[in-house]
Amino acid sequence: MQAAQQLKDSLREIGDLKAALDEHAIVAITDPQGRITYVNDKFCAISKYSRAELIGQDHRIINSGHHPAEFIKDLWGTIGRGRVWHGEIRNRAKDGSFYWVDTTIVPFLDEAGKPRQYVAIRADITERKRAEEELKAKVNEVSDLKRALDEHAIVAITDPQGRITYVNDKFCAISRYSRAELIGQDHRIINSGHHPASFFHRLWSTIGTGRVWHGEIRNRAKDGSLYWVDTTIVPFLDDAGKPRQYVAIRADITERKRVEEEIRDLNNQLEQRVARRTADLELANKELEAFSYSVSHDLRSPLRTLDGFSQAVLEDHGELLPPEGRRYLQTIRTAAQRMGDLIDDLLSFSRLSRQPLTREAIDSVALVRSVADELSAEQPARTVELVIGELPVARGDFGLIRQVWMNLLANAYKYTGRSAHPRIEVGATTRNNEVVFHVRDNGTGFDMRYVGKLFGVFQRLHRVDEFPGTGVGLAIVQRIVHRHGGRVWAEGEVDRGATFFFTLGEEEAR
Amino acid sequence: MNAAEIVDILLVEDNPHEAELVMRALRRSRPGVRVGLVHDGVEALDYVFGEGKHEGRGPVEPPRVILLDLKLPKVDGLEVLRRIKSDKLARTIPVVMLTSSREQRDIDTSYRLGANSYVVKPVNYEQLASLVQDLGSYWLAVNQGSKSEG
Repeated sequence: MQAAQQLKDSLREIGDLKAALDEHAIVAITDPQGRITYVNDKFCAISKYSRAELIGQDHRIINSGHHPAEFIKDLWGTIGRGRVWHGEIRNRAKDGSFYWVDTTIVPFLDEAGKPRQYVAIRADITERKRAEEELKAKVNEVSDLKRALDEHAIVAITDPQGRITYVNDKFCAISRYSRAELIGQDHRIINSGHHPASFFHRLWSTIGTGRVWHGEIRNRAKDGSLYWVDTTIVPFLDDAGKPRQYVAIRADITERKRVEEEIRDLNNQLEQRVARRTADLELANKELEAFSYSVSHDLRSPLRTLDGFSQAVLEDHGELLPPEGRRYLQTIRTAAQRMGDLIDDLLSFSRLSRQPLTREAIDSVALVRSVADELSAEQPARTVELVIGELPVARGDFGLIRQVWMNLLANAYKYTGRSAHPRIEVGATTRNNEVVFHVRDNGTGFDMRYVGKLFGVFQRLHRVDEFPGTGVGLAIVQRIVHRHGGRVWAEGEVDRGATFFFTLGEEEAR
Repeated sequence: MNAAEIVDILLVEDNPHEAELVMRALRRSRPGVRVGLVHDGVEALDYVFGEGKHEGRGPVEPPRVILLDLKLPKVDGLEVLRRIKSDKLARTIPVVMLTSSREQRDIDTSYRLGANSYVVKPVNYEQLASLVQDLGSYWLAVNQGSKSEG
């Protein structure tokens, strides 16, 4: 009776344990051939098979094919010999989805010591496995990134006190210290002394308050050589928000810095040279100005005296002189006046180089017409045929360009003075994207042998009594055209006329 | 020049030949014109302000016009002009710059300092004579001068 009661108690206890186990674990029992003889609800739930579909089936019904044959062989070898097997298995549910189970298989033996059945107790570890996979992938990714970074950059890590805790190979290479010499050292070991204390003060106050610092630092290697690094320091904070370490990533910019310095030096030298040249030029200009000023005042005065007193003699004592004597005095006067004209022209020529040049759009046709009107008004007795072709808008200094047209047209008027049918033609053509203006006449022309003298100051190809003039007009034309960055040239033939060509060059010329 | 002399025109010209030519042209065109001649800037100022050599010139009538050269020994023409035109009495006297300079800088400065006219002397004597004649008839006959005391 007491034995029966004990048995009853034991059975109840076993029943309770089984109920608790079913609540907690995935349980299955197979016979020695691996056929399923029992599954609990959790087994059905995870495998998505009904109990009826499972009982009597080979356990391989849930095999996922994930594990190699050796794995399965080892499992059966272990439990076949009556020992407990423990491991992680990936299974396939009825719907094809996979799940991982932490598995313990306990073999129960018969009296002969042969397994009579296997009890498999499993826990669902699918979620843990997934997290593990993810972590592994992340670790792989991070280590890939770190490798790439190490290939590319100079990397160091310091603790909050600035002691080096990690350096990569590139750091060792550029600093010429071994890793052993660096780890544990204060980062100041590579301080070059180049930057002021305030520089590092700002750096530390930036990263000390958890902000990223970026800048260029000059460091000193073990052998004393200096190098520049473009540096980014990223502070990493602990839970309290305090920096727990600093990761510094750097790029070697020594060469760039050297080139920059070289460029700066060259620029400085160039600036100094330009300043010196400008000063020289300004001095030369001042001297020229003083010279012109003096010429303007002092050279004309004696001429006025020559002319004035010659005239005074003629007026007051003219009747005492023979005609020859009066002619001599008249010759002195003519010479004095001509010299006055020469001085005036020379002064206006020298003034050309001094006055600033301002470019604007110029209506060439209107300008040529107004110049021609002025010239024909001066010589109303003459009839000159003037043909103005299509002229593009020019960009230049209006006053100066007007003088170019004035001098060229005045020449054309003057040198057609002896032509039976004076004709002047003004036009423009485009050659290689450049506008070439021209003034053509059918006047006296010139011998091409002397073309080189045409544009020289006081150079004339005709005698004053043939054609009046001082020989400055074309020199002025050339100076103005050159100041605009253009060119001027001429073609001619004796008694067949002359053509003068000019361009006005680029905007930035001066 | 007599200290108490009253003049119509004060000519400030350092070159005696130039001065002679201008005076000749003036006297030929306006017989009886009273011309005072001074040879440098200091003398010009002394004359206008009754100082130095011209001290005690007394309260005589000022010239009706001053013909002033730019380039003068000691004190130059522009400085003479500046001093005259910044004096509250003397500044009513018309000042004509009569000079060889065609420099725009000189022309602009003269007007800025208060010149009443700016005339460039030609080399040709007939042109000079006709110019001086025009100046004489304009400033002595056409123009009405100030009677104010400043």
